[in-house]
Amino acid sequence: MASTPLAAGRHYKHGAEDLPAGRRAAGRLLILLATLGLAAVFVVQLLDRLGVLPLGLPNWRPLLYAYVLWAVALCVGQVILRGEQGRRALFVLPALLFTISMVIFPTAFGLYIAFTDWNLSSFAGRQFNGLANLKALLQDAYFWNALRNTVYYVLAVLVEYALAFGLALLLNAEIRARRFFRIVFLLPFMLSPVAVSWMVGKSIMEYRFGPAATLARHLGWDRPAFFADPVIARLSIMAMDAWVTIPFVLILLLAGLQAMPKEITEAAKVDGANGWQTFWRITFPLMLPVSLTAIVLKIIFKLKLADIVINVTAGGPGGATDTVTSFIYREYRDRSNVGYGTMLAMFYLVLIIIFVILLLKFAQRRMRQGLG
Amino acid sequence: MKLEHYGLIKAQASRRQVLKGAASVGAMGALGALGAWPGTALAQGELRTQLLQIPGVGAGSPTDADWQKVGELCLEATKANVTEGEFAGVELTFMGLNNQNLHNLLFRGFLKSWEAYTGAKITWIDLAQADYNPRLQQAIATGTVDFDLLEMGAPFEGDVCGKGLASEMPDWVKAQIDMDDYVDYLKAPVGTWEGKTYRISIDGDCHNFNYRTDVFSDPDLAAAWKSEGGQGEWGVPKTWQQVQAATKFLKGKQVAGQDAYGYLDAPKAWGGFGFYFLGSRATAYAKHPDDKAWLFDVDTMKPRINNPAWVRAIQDVLDALPAEPPDQLNADPGTTAFQQFLAGTGSMVSWWGDVGSSAKTSDGSVIGDTVGFDILPGSDDVYNAKTGAWDKLPSGPNYAPNMAYIGWGVYVMARVDGDAKKHKAAWSAAAHLGGKDISLWASAYPSGFQPYRKSHFNVAEWVAAGYDEAFITSYLNSQSNSYNHPNAAIEPRIPGIFQYYSVAEDELAKIFAGQYDAQKGADNIAAAWEKITDQIGREQQLALYRASLGV
Repeated sequence: MASTPLAAGRHYKHGAEDLPAGRRAAGRLLILLATLGLAAVFVVQLLDRLGVLPLGLPNWRPLLYAYVLWAVALCVGQVILRGEQGRRALFVLPALLFTISMVIFPTAFGLYIAFTDWNLSSFAGRQFNGLANLKALLQDAYFWNALRNTVYYVLAVLVEYALAFGLALLLNAEIRARRFFRIVFLLPFMLSPVAVSWMVGKSIMEYRFGPAATLARHLGWDRPAFFADPVIARLSIMAMDAWVTIPFVLILLLAGLQAMPKEITEAAKVDGANGWQTFWRITFPLMLPVSLTAIVLKIIFKLKLADIVINVTAGGPGGATDTVTSFIYREYRDRSNVGYGTMLAMFYLVLIIIFVILLLKFAQRRMRQGLG
Repeated sequence: MKLEHYGLIKAQASRRQVLKGAASVGAMGALGALGAWPGTALAQGELRTQLLQIPGVGAGSPTDADWQKVGELCLEATKANVTEGEFAGVELTFMGLNNQNLHNLLFRGFLKSWEAYTGAKITWIDLAQADYNPRLQQAIATGTVDFDLLEMGAPFEGDVCGKGLASEMPDWVKAQIDMDDYVDYLKAPVGTWEGKTYRISIDGDCHNFNYRTDVFSDPDLAAAWKSEGGQGEWGVPKTWQQVQAATKFLKGKQVAGQDAYGYLDAPKAWGGFGFYFLGSRATAYAKHPDDKAWLFDVDTMKPRINNPAWVRAIQDVLDALPAEPPDQLNADPGTTAFQQFLAGTGSMVSWWGDVGSSAKTSDGSVIGDTVGFDILPGSDDVYNAKTGAWDKLPSGPNYAPNMAYIGWGVYVMARVDGDAKKHKAAWSAAAHLGGKDISLWASAYPSGFQPYRKSHFNVAEWVAAGYDEAFITSYLNSQSNSYNHPNAAIEPRIPGIFQYYSVAEDELAKIFAGQYDAQKGADNIAAAWEKITDQIGREQQLALYRASLGV
């Protein structure tokens, strides 16, 4: 449209507009007053909570209201103070404030909780206990057992990726009822893991009447108990989780395969490459960026694995299927051990961040090598 | 015998059924609808007969309209203490469960006529079972109790009553609800703290012993038992020693062409509730008639979980597991009762009353005509924690039924104490829900609650309502004899009790998986329990524990 450049020009001019000094001062004053108000409410609440100024405030809601008012004043103040630039800031500022409220503050508060002894049944209430939770965590055999299991689950991603790649190649081929199979393969991903726990773990794999157990008996396994032996139980959990989440990887890979220029594989065929060579020399390297993305996302899924474990094995037998997340769940829900549970969660978060950063760096290096 | 009649008791959904995730509303046959409801008070016998006909045996599951009718019929007790419109303008908040669309939903119907008569208005906080404990604990810990009435299990009394958050029951309420009618174990000290009464019971709980009559009367098994040198006659075990022997004997045997199994243990964790099942194996060993305590020492709060009695119970499980079904290690109590015992696998299981109430009516049950009930088995000897010796009682085996969970109650919160009108309104509402007659209906129809008053065990009332006498008698006796047993093992009502159970489940899972022996595992549990006690506050825990035992 012809008007676009003009509009853009006007925007630029407005951004550089000179605003009256009185307006700027009013903007500054508004922000200042709101900030002072927020600080005052915070101090009053704090003094009330510490018992220095007992006002009997039942909760921290006044501070929340003050924060909301401050946020509104800050946004309005930006417009008054900076004009068009302030209006532009409004596109980002509410989201930023929301993120601070809902992500940054809870994380910071959680970090504080992680360094407290806070059992909800405790008579003493929340007590700062320094590094005690961290020390306890480092000596907690349950945590390390769960972490080791989580590593096993993460390693299973490679197998799942291989299966997903194979299925994606099949669905990308010119086979009959291709669309039908694409939808069918997606169905498990649409199911809740809790539903899968009951349908598969507690019904299909049930020892007495489950079809999977019956089939296993026909195949010569006399006592097909899927969750009584540590290794078999772990493999069974892996299989169930794979059944639910492989379709996700499959779809990502299929999208990658479909986006790949056909000319390259056709040229390879013309040059005499067989299917095996085409896959390893052409398809796989070209799919590396999509593959790494899929693997990273799948690993993040694995690190959060809990629902199937909680429902099917409760972490057993003897902790063989426990995950860090299901262990944290027990600490919180069954034991009301908020301080230690939060330390577990925070420590695990740090581990995940470090792991994912390393993984992404490795992926970037591999991609550079692949492209090089 | 009409099987559908048992739909009534089968449909008594409860927290256990919720935890196993099973639906349990029974189908009922058809009887005639009731006529018009009298506006005047009925004689009590006539009233109870009439109550048991709402909606009538076999007339389908009760609806909200039925609940309202029951509430209206039972309003006379309220009218004796409250004048019409006396609570106009009072607003109360009630926090409870919504399990199986019962509990709070049932209470709403019961209280509809109460609200209309008194003028009070009730706001409801409905919680799923899984959300209940965190919600309650957070309210307590953060000082944000935002409810006036609370539906709560007795194990949480330490968290609520022990911290002064509940309102003391006025005498007029005690009279209105006829507390003397409670079965013995629900009387003080249950529901009381330091001599003050806080709880209106609306439920009773205990583990009883469910067994297969066909297995224990099988002539081939009897012959095999003798030929293999089994002690005494082949029959229903009365002690845990006999349970162990029968379980090992049945390994590899068949009954009616099916593999026979003996006792069914529940080794898999179950959110803390699984610990009750080890408890049922242990109480006969650990609960000495001369000692009220059986889980902690009453002077030091030192755990007894690693004493010889508990270790013996754990060892029993380890010894029995090889003779139990191959996947038993992954069996939680929901599995043992509903996927195994009722489905024909195993011949003995300890459980709450739900097994009996489901045996003849559940679609998944194949043992309706071959099930019998008793109190939990005893033991030839009992451990004396004071002397460190195993005692043989002159009276014979030691029996100690496990009063697991102690049932639901209604509590009024202390925050109403400052407002006399609100205080009376809250207690009146609670008393209406815990009334003697209304409780008969709740124990007979789907409500989530089991019989808990002496008057609930009047078999004639049940038979008149359409039940088979032999079955109901056996079933009710197993509960009644447990409730009223002089050596019943009462659960400690101390803060965080499920934390202890949950930690124990983790360690027990390792023991049962063969990672530790029984003693080492029990020592680990004891160490973890000591940590919890220290974290919550040892002195306070000890004081509350003693108070809960009435020591």
